[in-house]
This record gives sequence, structure tokens and C-alpha cells, in this order.
Amino acid sequence: MLENLWLIPAIPFAGFFILAVLGRRLPRVAAAWIGTGSIGLSALLAILVGIRYLSAPPEGYAFRQTLWQWIEVAGFSPSISFYLDSLSLVFILIITVVGFFIHLYSIEFMEADEGLKRFFAYMNLFVGAMLTLVLADSLVLMYLGWEGVGLGSYLLIGFWYQEPANGYAARKAFVMTRVGDTAMALGLFLLFTSFGTLDISTITAAAPQQWRPGDQLAVWAALLLLGGALGKSAQLPLQTWLPDAMAGPTPVSALIHAATMVTAGVYLIARMHAVFELAPSVMALVAIIGAATLLLAGFSALTQSDIKRVLAYSTISQIGYMFLALGLGAWSAAVFHFFTHAFFKALLFLGAGAVILAMHHEHDMFKMGGLWKKMPVTFWTFLAGSGALAALPLITAGFYSKDQILWYAWAGERGNSWLWAAGMLGALITAAYTARMVILTFFGDMKQEPDKRPGVLIKIPLIVLAVLSIIGGFVEMPHNMAAVHLFSDWLGTALPAIHVEESLQASEFLLQLAAAATVFAGLFIGYWFYLRRPELAASAHRSFAGLHRFWFQGWGFDWLYERLFIRPFTWLAAVNRADVTDYIYTALAKGNESLYHIFSRTQTGQLRWYAFGIGVGALIIITLIAMS
Amino acid sequence: MEEDMIQNEIYWPLVAYAGIVLLVIGAIVVLSYLLGERHDDKATGEVFESGILPTGSARLQFSSHFYLIAMFFVIFDLETAFIVAWAIGYEEAGWPGFIGALIFVGILLVVLVYEWSTGALDYGPQGQKIIKALQKRRKQQKI
Amino acid sequence: MSSEDFRSLLPLLILAAASILLLVVIAVRRDHRLVYYLTVAALAAALAASLIPVEYSPRTASPLLVIDGFSLFYSALLNAAGLIVVVLSYTYLRPLREQMEEYYVLILLAVLGSVILAASRHFASFFLGLELLSVSLYTLVGYMVRSRDRSMEAGLKYLILAAAAAAFLLFGMALVFYEAGQLGFSGIGKYLAEAEALSLLIITGFGLIIIGIGFKLALAPFHMWAADVYEGAPAPVSALVATVSKGGVVAVLLRFYSEVDGYQFPVLALLFSIFAAASMLGGNLLALLQDNVKRILGYSSIAHLGYLIVAFLSGGAMAAGAATFYLVAYFITILVAFGVVAHLSSGEQEAEKLEDYRSLFWRRPGTAVVFTAALLSLAGIPLTAGFIGKFYIAAAGAQEGLWVLLFILAASSVIGLYYYLRIIMAMFASAKDPAQRIAPLFSGVGLLLVILTVALVWLGVFPQAMLDMINEWVAG
Repeated sequence: MLENLWLIPAIPFAGFFILAVLGRRLPRVAAAWIGTGSIGLSALLAILVGIRYLSAPPEGYAFRQTLWQWIEVAGFSPSISFYLDSLSLVFILIITVVGFFIHLYSIEFMEADEGLKRFFAYMNLFVGAMLTLVLADSLVLMYLGWEGVGLGSYLLIGFWYQEPANGYAARKAFVMTRVGDTAMALGLFLLFTSFGTLDISTITAAAPQQWRPGDQLAVWAALLLLGGALGKSAQLPLQTWLPDAMAGPTPVSALIHAATMVTAGVYLIARMHAVFELAPSVMALVAIIGAATLLLAGFSALTQSDIKRVLAYSTISQIGYMFLALGLGAWSAAVFHFFTHAFFKALLFLGAGAVILAMHHEHDMFKMGGLWKKMPVTFWTFLAGSGALAALPLITAGFYSKDQILWYAWAGERGNSWLWAAGMLGALITAAYTARMVILTFFGDMKQEPDKRPGVLIKIPLIVLAVLSIIGGFVEMPHNMAAVHLFSDWLGTALPAIHVEESLQASEFLLQLAAAATVFAGLFIGYWFYLRRPELAASAHRSFAGLHRFWFQGWGFDWLYERLFIRPFTWLAAVNRADVTDYIYTALAKGNESLYHIFSRTQTGQLRWYAFGIGVGALIIITLIAMS
Repeated sequence: MEEDMIQNEIYWPLVAYAGIVLLVIGAIVVLSYLLGERHDDKATGEVFESGILPTGSARLQFSSHFYLIAMFFVIFDLETAFIVAWAIGYEEAGWPGFIGALIFVGILLVVLVYEWSTGALDYGPQGQKIIKALQKRRKQQKI
Repeated sequence: MSSEDFRSLLPLLILAAASILLLVVIAVRRDHRLVYYLTVAALAAALAASLIPVEYSPRTASPLLVIDGFSLFYSALLNAAGLIVVVLSYTYLRPLREQMEEYYVLILLAVLGSVILAASRHFASFFLGLELLSVSLYTLVGYMVRSRDRSMEAGLKYLILAAAAAAFLLFGMALVFYEAGQLGFSGIGKYLAEAEALSLLIITGFGLIIIGIGFKLALAPFHMWAADVYEGAPAPVSALVATVSKGGVVAVLLRFYSEVDGYQFPVLALLFSIFAAASMLGGNLLALLQDNVKRILGYSSIAHLGYLIVAFLSGGAMAAGAATFYLVAYFITILVAFGVVAHLSSGEQEAEKLEDYRSLFWRRPGTAVVFTAALLSLAGIPLTAGFIGKFYIAAAGAQEGLWVLLFILAASSVIGLYYYLRIIMAMFASAKDPAQRIAPLFSGVGLLLVILTVALVWLGVFPQAMLDMINEWVAG
């Protein structure tokens, strides 16, 4: 079964090619089902591979499949190989399974859209690239997938390209992530010069031998890789593109900008953990960035009125948690949070999409309300997702994953009380904005009658993902509750475990209580301000109008970047309209052209001249030999 | 160092010779230029030959058949030389030599047949062709 | 001469016997198709014979010839190239008013000469093979006497210049013989190894031999004939000049150099470096704004042989392998390119102007795609055979530290890219009147071109099998 690994990314790519080449001739329904079926098939294979992997683990808990060895010349042997271990297995399962349900949902969601075939082609391309990214055996192939998902994201954010704003958002996303990608490319060069290879397992094996912890080179390598991760995962200071990326169709937001692509940074850091562990200062930086991002984005989410923007900021915030965990060295906790987050955030986006569809593409939560009776399935599933996002204790998956991160922030070897406090404050805000979102959307007075009921293809993904959002967390429980460590045991074969301060073990229960209390406090704040006493929220809004605007606009980063980078750049471009640097290349081209004209003169077509050429050659030879 | 000296000694006559050659040629050219008569009359540029002005081009076209025959002669002549050379060493060459010569003669034979059949050996006016051309012309005239 | 000698010489014998047989057939009855089939059969048989007798090689079949993995590999390569040229020629020649039958005899003789070169270990067989090759090519280049003027002109130019170059070569051999008293390569090598001081004469002799070789390979400054001959010759013959004639000479150069250990003379290395640099730059610059596709291919062949000389110069363990792989890649690529030219030529009119290729993609998409693949391979774009070849050369050169040459190689490749892309752009330019799309003609030549293109991409994607084979046969 493991030999079929290559098919998992290959099938989505095949789907893309079929849709791209034959798209025009296919009926719409067929195109939609080809797009969905390819992901379904891929998901099925991923599950089978997963079962095979778990039932009979390959040697060393890793399976490598070399698909193609290009050449082997002078020690240079580039090849394309896939690498399956527990880490990549988690990712491919999430990508294909969640991806499949989102595709299924899209069939109905995009039903009326004239770009339906294009949509599915892009989606398949994206999934293929994402699977390549996580299965890649070398950083080169991973970079290829990395850029591939960037392309898919760009195409899908700007999917409705007739609207200039969407094109702008797509461009912004692409450019912002490119900033990170450039750093990552430099990091790859650095790794290549240090190790002479970009093979991931070779690097992770050789790094601890070659570098001592805190080595200058290790710090630089980790920093540059972190740059790539920050761009892709929309973390401080490269987070500004994600809220605007909501311009794409909602399933795109669910798949790319919540469940999969934005977590690529998490994957990269987890995959390269050997390098990061050698750079403790960078690890601390990762944790601080995570903590800062989760707070910043949480406050922004509190003030948004567009339901998708709330979810976007919430995604940034939740990935902040993952980065916090990574920075703590709690690798499996980060991946666990990715695991649960993929379910509930995809669910929330899909639910929001169902609401938006019912409300004629209305995104403003203040124009919604009272929908819970009219759209029961959407409401209940959305509630399940919200519970998980808010980390409602015991019954939701989000609780288990977030609690683990908070616990390690407190008791982990790299944890400290500040990081923990930031996490707790973040949990409070999360609960508050979640409650606000649910209340504004589904409770209160109905302001507009929903006229379109979600059909079965929308309901199935919602229900399945809702179930997963509830039970997904049961694979890993806190130590003091039950001895269930399936997830961390599983990942333990690929990622090192985190050490916990023994002296703090006893406080675990207290901390859990505190976390639970925080969640309820947050929910209560939301309830109090938006359902019980809405006038309070309005007055707070008035008295802190400046702060509200500041948060609403995402802490003014766009404003800052506009002045710091964009304007100087456009100014420079305007000044350099004539393109001074191009003169060099023009001169080079002209030089070659004139050389051509000079050389052409020698091609007279006259025999005696040609014979003369031979004579000159002979003369050169004899002169050189005589001189030697 | 010493080798260089020796080499210089060997090469100096050559250099001197080349120098003398250049000198003599230069002298001839320069002297004839300086001493020569210069005038530009009506008939200066004309070719003079026994008092008669030349008419037409000196480049006549000969039928390429003649060259072909000459070439065949050279080729077969050379091949005969080969065979003669083999015949002299007949005893020493033995059977391998005999087989080699046989192949050689065989190839010659094939080439001869080829040349014959392609008409390369027909030279002079070809009667049949002329008669055909005449008949054709007559037909055309009749029409 | 034992029967095993006989069998190992089979490729040569088949070619020789077939050319005699063809003369008899022509004498009896002129039949274009019959002669064509016989030629194809002969070349295929020689190809097969080159691949089979590998078990009992190496074998010095006579003082003149050696049959080992190296010569058999080259023999197979040359025969295959000859076979492809013959197939290309058949449809190309049919609409013409020439006597076609002798054309095939000449191709057989050219291939035979080239195979002799690849197997030669003696100045006598070297010169014999070279002349057999050259004399056939003079006639082939000028074969279109009745259809085209420039064919004759090109043939005559080639004849005179090649004769001049051969004179230099012969004089060089004479000088070497005067000093060494040997004509066999290994004998000369032994003399050089044992001699205490080498006189200037023997090195001058080598230098003059290099003139002969440089002329055949069209290395600058002996390159000036190339464009005129490529342009004037019928397209399949241009392909023959580019492949069979170069392949045999490269083979003899490699063998001669390794037997006499030519790498011990720094001045010869300097000479080759100058020629390689001049060829790479000159060839690519001359093609830059050229409008005649056949001339472009001619100039590009100058540059490509320059690249190959870089591999040859590296002299290390990888030299022969890199040069041979490059040659294989170049053979396939240039055969596709000239195949397309021949395929598009109709009767009197050769498709040689850049204008003839404008918006070809919209008229004959298949042909345009095939030609594009060939041009990309010539430019050395990854995933084509040309890229692997160039990469191998760069690896071999880097190992020996030929940085200046590698820099020139890279810079001139960029220049080269420009004119290859010019052709490609012309082919994909949108058609003025889209109505004139010609239905693709499925023909044997079309199929052959597709197969060659597949081989070209295959070598670019999975080159390892070919690399292993070359390492085993040629370098081993």
C-alpha cells in the first residue's frame, strides 16, 4: 500500500490537468465531480496508507519513495522522492480529508458560478501542490510545492477577478508571502552551502554534528527559514495579507486560508526542528512572535463586522498559538492544534459560507441575526465549531489542543509565565469574539430573511466536520485526566518530546481550571455585551472609537507598510521611469548585436577568404608552438 | 639557456634567408615602381597579341566527357599499379593476399559494369539520341 | 584473420559490401525505392552488428583497426544517425529531378568512412577513413545539381577547403612520422613516452593534424565553410555533415589523444582552449541575427563543437564520457532539427527562411512542437538531452578547473538562447489568416521525428541508462 504514496499528490494533479485541458468540453456537473472525485480518491488512498502505516510501521517509522532519479554525475544526484513519516501523514490526512469535504461543499456553493470549472481546476492544483509540499523529501521539492500553493492561493483569492479589489488582495497576498519566501530561499542556499545537500533527513541528521547550539550559522539558517514560515502562516510582521485574502470564495478561505496552506509554516518549522533546536534564540523569538500575534489578531477579531474577517483574524490568532507551541519546543502540541484547528476552522468557514450564501453574499454580521431557527443545521454545526474555537472545556477538540499548549507554556522547559499569561489572555479574547460572532449572526432580531436553504452537499461536510471538531480532541488527553496519548505517541516517532518541569506537575489541574474559567469569562463577556446589554457595546464603541478603529484596521500595519515600503517604492519606480539599470542590459544586447555585424563581415562567401581563414589558423598554431 | 643558444644558431640562417628573400622581393617591386615607365595612352590597357585585337572569351566550355574519360583512365591506371604491386609480392602475400586481390578485382569489375550501364563510357556523339531528337522535331514541324 | 576478427569487423564489412551491391543493383535497374530499402537494411544490419559482438572485444583486428567498446559504440551511433538521415532523405528526394540512387551509395560510404575513423588506430586508416568520408560528402553536398545552384557552390567550396585542410593533416602526419618513425597511435605514444627531449617538429606535426581535425569539426578559425555548406547542401545532407562527419572525427580525436597522451603538451591544450572559446563565442554570435534557419543550425553546430571540446579538454576520467554523451544528445537534437527542415521542404523549395516558420504552430502544430523541443535541447533547457549534455560537460570541466572556458560556455549559451528563442517565437506567432491550417500529414518521417523527440526528452529526464552505457562501453 505504501508504494501508492506517489498517487496521493499525483491524482489531484491529474484532476487539474484533465480540467485544464478538457475543461471546455466537459459538462459543468462532470467537471465538479472530477475535481471532487480526485480529492476523494486521494483521501481514500491517504487513509489506506495511514492504516497500513499504523498497522505495520515501516522501518524507522519512515517510508521513502524515490520516484525519479535524474542523473548521477560528479556526486550530484538530484532526485524526486517522497517521505512519509507520522508528521507528513497527519498533514496528508488533514489535507485530503478536509479538502475532500470542502470540495464536496463547493459543488453546491459554486453551483451558480460561471467559473465553476476553473474553480475546481485551481483547487485541485492547490491540493496537489500542498501534498507535494508536505511529502517532499528534499527542501527543493518542498520549495516547489511551497511556491505551488502560493500560486494556487493567488489564483483563488483573485478568483472573481472582474472586481479590481479582489485582484489587489490576491496580489497583496502573493507579494507579502514572497517576502517570506525570499528569506526562505536564502535559508536554503545557506543550508546548501553548509551541508552540500538539501535532503531534509540528511540535514536534520548532520546539523547537530556540524553545529553547536547557538552557532551563528544555525541561528541564521533558522531565522531565514522562520522568515518563510512567517510569510506563509501570516504571522507578525507579515500577517496583513490574510484578512484581505478573504476576497476569495468561502471554500477557498476554508481550505487554503484556514485548514492547510497557512499552516505550512508550522509544518516547515516542525520538519526542520533539528535546525531550530540549535538556535535557542530563534526558538524564543518564535514563541514571542506566536504570543504577540495571537493577542494582536485576537483584539482585531473583536472589532470586525465582516464575519469572514473575524474568522481570518481568528485564524491568525490560532496559528499564533501553534507558533507559540513551536517556540516552546512542544512540537507535537503544535501539530495537534493544527489537527483540531483544521476541523473547526474549516467548519466555521463553511458555516459562514452557508450563511453568506443564504443572505445574498452579505458579509456584515450586524445585518444578520436570529438565524438559528431558520437554519438549524448550519446553526448547530457552527455552534460546535465555535465551541471548539473557544476551547469549551472537555467536550470540544479545541480545548484539548489549546490546553496542552497553555500547559507547556507554563511548565515546559522553555516556558515562562509571560507566555502563559499571553496565552490565557488570548483564550479570553477568543472566547469573547467567538461568542460575539455567534450571537450577532444567529441570535437577536432577524434583520433579513434567509431565502436559500443549504442543500445536502453543504450539510454533509458541515455535519462531518462538526463531529470531528467535537471528537477530534479525544486522541490526546491531559495526563491528569486520562492516559490517552495516541497523538503524541504517534508523532513521537518523528518529533522529539518536550520535557516538563517536574516541580510544576502538581499545578496542572489548577491551570486547567483557570483555563476553563477564562473561557467561560470570555463567553460571558460576549454574552453580556452583545445579547444582554447591546447598548453597552455601543457605548464602549463610542468612547473608545480611536482604539476600535486601530484594532479594526489590524493595528495599523497596512498604514505603516503603506508609508514605510509601498510609497517609497512607487516613488522610486516613478523616478526611475527610464529604468537606469536596464541601460546596462541594453548596452550588452547592443554590444552583442554589433559583434554579430562585425563577425558577419567575415562570412563573405568567397572561397579565397575562407582559405585565408584556414591559413591564419595554421599560422596561429605554428606561432604558438614555436613560441612555447 | 644553452639550448636556446643552440636553437638560435640553428635558426639564424633561416631567419637570414627569409630576410634576404623579403629584401630582394621588396627591392624588385620598389625599383620597378620607381624606375618603370608610366603612361596612359589609348591602347595601354589593351591586350596585345600579334597586332590583332582578341575577340570573345578565352574560357571555352569543353564537354565534361573528356574529363570523365581522363579520370577513369587515372583511376584504372592506379588500380593497375596496385595489382602490379601485388603481383610482385605474390609469393609473400600468399592466400590472404590472393583473396584480397580477388576482392579488389571484383570491386573493379562491379565498378566497370556500373559505369558501362550508366552510360559513363559512351562518349562521342550518341547516334540514337540524335535520331530521336530529329524525329521529335519532324513531328513538331508536321503539326 | 580469424573468423572472430571477421565477425568483429562485420559492421564495416556490411557497409562496404552493401555499397558494392548497390552499384550492381543500379547497373541492372534504377529503382529508387529498392535502393532505399537496401540501404536501410544495410545500415540496420550494421547497427545490429555493432551492438552484438561486444562479448569478444576489444580486438585489434589488424594493425589499422581496433574493435573495442569504444569503436562499437561509435559505430552504432554513426550507423543509427546514417539510418535516420536515409529515412529523412527518401521523402525529401522523391519530388526532385535528380538521379537519386547513387545518393544512397554515397551515404553508405560516408558512414563507412566515419566508422573506420572511429575504429582506427593508425595514421593510414585515419586518413583513409577521413578521405572516404570527405569524398562522399563533397558529392553529397553538391548533389542537387539540377535543382539548386547553391548546392553545387557549396560542394565545390567544401571540396577545395577540405582538400587544403587534408593537406595540412597529411603534412602533420609526415612530420610526426619523420620524428617518431611510427604511424600507429600506440607506437607514437610509446615513442613520446620514451623520448627524452621532444623536438619542435613533432609538436608542430600535432598542430598541423589539429588543423585537419579542426576543419572537419568546424572549429573557429576553420569554421567559415560551415554555414555556406549547411545552407547549400540538401537538408538531409546537412544533417549528415552535422552528425556522421563530426562523430567519426571526434572519435578518432579522442582515441588519438588518449593513446599518445596529448594532454602532456600544454601548448596543445592552449590551442584547443583558444579554438573552443572562439568557436563558442563566434558560432553563437554569428547566428545571433541570422534569418536563415539552416545557417543558424550551421553556426550553432560550430558553437556546439566548441562546447564538446571543453569536455574533451577536461581530460580527466570524465572527458570521454562527457564528450560522448554530448555527442549523442547533439546527434538526436540536430537530427530532429534538420529532419523538420527536410520535412517542411517541398521539392525545389527548401524551408530555410525564418519567414517559412512564422506561425508554423498554427499550421502544423505537431511539427512546430517537435522543432521547439529540438531548439530547446540545443539551447540546453533542463529536461532535454541538451541540458544533461551541457551539465555533464560543466561537471567534467569544473573537476579540472577549466573556469574560464566554463564561463565562456555559460555566457555564450545565453547568447545562443536568443536565436533559438527567435525561431520558437516566430513559430508561435499568431497567424495572419488562421484558415490555412494544414491537416497533419501522418508519414514515416513524422513518426520518426516523434520517436526522436521522445528520445530527446527521455534522455533529458532519465539519462542514467545512457550514462551507464557510455561509461561501460566508452570510458571503461
